[in-house]
Amino acid sequence: MFDFSVIVQNAPLLWYGLLVTLEYTVATITAGVIIGLIVGLIQLSRIRLLRALGRLYVEFFRNIPLLVTLLWTYYALPIFLHVNITKGWAGLIALSCYVGSFYAEILRAGVQGVDRGQTDAATALGMTYRQRMRRIVLPQAFRRMMPPLVGQSIIQMKNTTLLSAITVPDLLYQGSYVSSFTYKPMEIYTAIGAIFLVILVPLTMVTRRMEFGHVSPH
Amino acid sequence: MSRPTDAARLVLAIEDLSLCFGHRQVLRSVSLEVRQGEVVVLLGASGSGKTSLLRCINLLNNPRSGRIVIDGAPIFDTGLDGRDRLRLSERAINAIRAKTGMVFQQFNLFPHMTALQNVMEAPVIVGRVPRAEAEAAARRLLGQVGLADHVGKRPAQLSGGQQQRVGIARALAMNPMVMLFDEPTSALDPELVGEVLKAMVALARSGMTMLVVTHELGFAFEIADRVIFLDDGEIAAEGPPAEILLHPQNLRLQNFVARFHESADMLKPFLAGR
Repeated sequence: MFDFSVIVQNAPLLWYGLLVTLEYTVATITAGVIIGLIVGLIQLSRIRLLRALGRLYVEFFRNIPLLVTLLWTYYALPIFLHVNITKGWAGLIALSCYVGSFYAEILRAGVQGVDRGQTDAATALGMTYRQRMRRIVLPQAFRRMMPPLVGQSIIQMKNTTLLSAITVPDLLYQGSYVSSFTYKPMEIYTAIGAIFLVILVPLTMVTRRMEFGHVSPH
Repeated sequence: MSRPTDAARLVLAIEDLSLCFGHRQVLRSVSLEVRQGEVVVLLGASGSGKTSLLRCINLLNNPRSGRIVIDGAPIFDTGLDGRDRLRLSERAINAIRAKTGMVFQQFNLFPHMTALQNVMEAPVIVGRVPRAEAEAAARRLLGQVGLADHVGKRPAQLSGGQQQRVGIARALAMNPMVMLFDEPTSALDPELVGEVLKAMVALARSGMTMLVVTHELGFAFEIADRVIFLDDGEIAAEGPPAEILLHPQNLRLQNFVARFHESADMLKPFLAGR
């Protein structure tokens, strides 16, 4: 029923797509972590205006469908700014800003989830805000944050398939292309799904083990 | 126990302190003084403001008005008319804060550190004490509270009583002028209360100045130099423990003490049968 020779014959095209997918995954996660760190700290600021701006950013990108953000960045943003934005940059910007909003939220929740008594104890000992954050709150917050961070990053890898909508040659786009001249969509889309499974299932299992390893009762 | 005289150094002075949470007034013009070596127990029903008062002293709660002076240094002062408020830098406040050691109802140990690291943390980070010196001091303090064999354990590996004793050692590590205890035994299983009280009694006997919020009337009776009864944010009675606990004048205090007698009476038939 399946004729996988079509995969073998077009392996270079699909391999190229996989590399593009992995590149975008790594690049947007890296940029997203930086954005998330900045926006997350802004959300934890003691200045109300900054907190509001951070909130605005997070709610903006979390509540617009990623596909809309992506298309808007590619087709509308260049018109607004009167500049040329290549599809590569548009994809990078949209995906990074999107995942950054989720990372920011994970950081905020992680820090605010640390028991209030921890801050009390550190304060009572005479620690400054920075010392409390660095020595007491953040180390505990990072432990809590690891599982959702990895989870969001896995979602991010899957979200890179949306890049094919703006013709970035990622794995899905290359697959569609191969399918368009071989007329073997069954084999090709099955293979693409399988590639994601093979990469992400082991990662998910590692995350699950981390979740158990990091339970830290008082 | 020798009672500190009026000549002893004034370690803590609170004048006319008021605290509000939103529109609810939690403390109403509370004034009290604690002299060096004194053990003062704060009693009161839940919601009477005992814990809030304790948390005002190191500014974990921000009072609305009044004056707090720790070992001669004002940490909070709104002036008489509440307008010329004392404004200290975070650094100055922390320096005064470090003169108080606080022990919490829920222990609040740092879960990502061992007992030893918990005790060393503030001297090293805040006090800039050399690591080796801080470690030696921390081991000595943990030994004093009977935990010499548990220095390498994380809080999660310790019983509640052991955790609270680490909490006491941690607070002592900054060489405070006064120790503040916020219901230190209330979160403990009954069989673990004794070991913590024992450590507190030893501390009191060593001459430490202590302000203790507790429901342990036995501790108040045996160890306190003075008992203060808070009712609805006000000091309703104050005096030596025998006078306050055995001959309460204030009606609310009579009810409060009676409830403890009642629960003791209820136990009598069970205890007699043993």
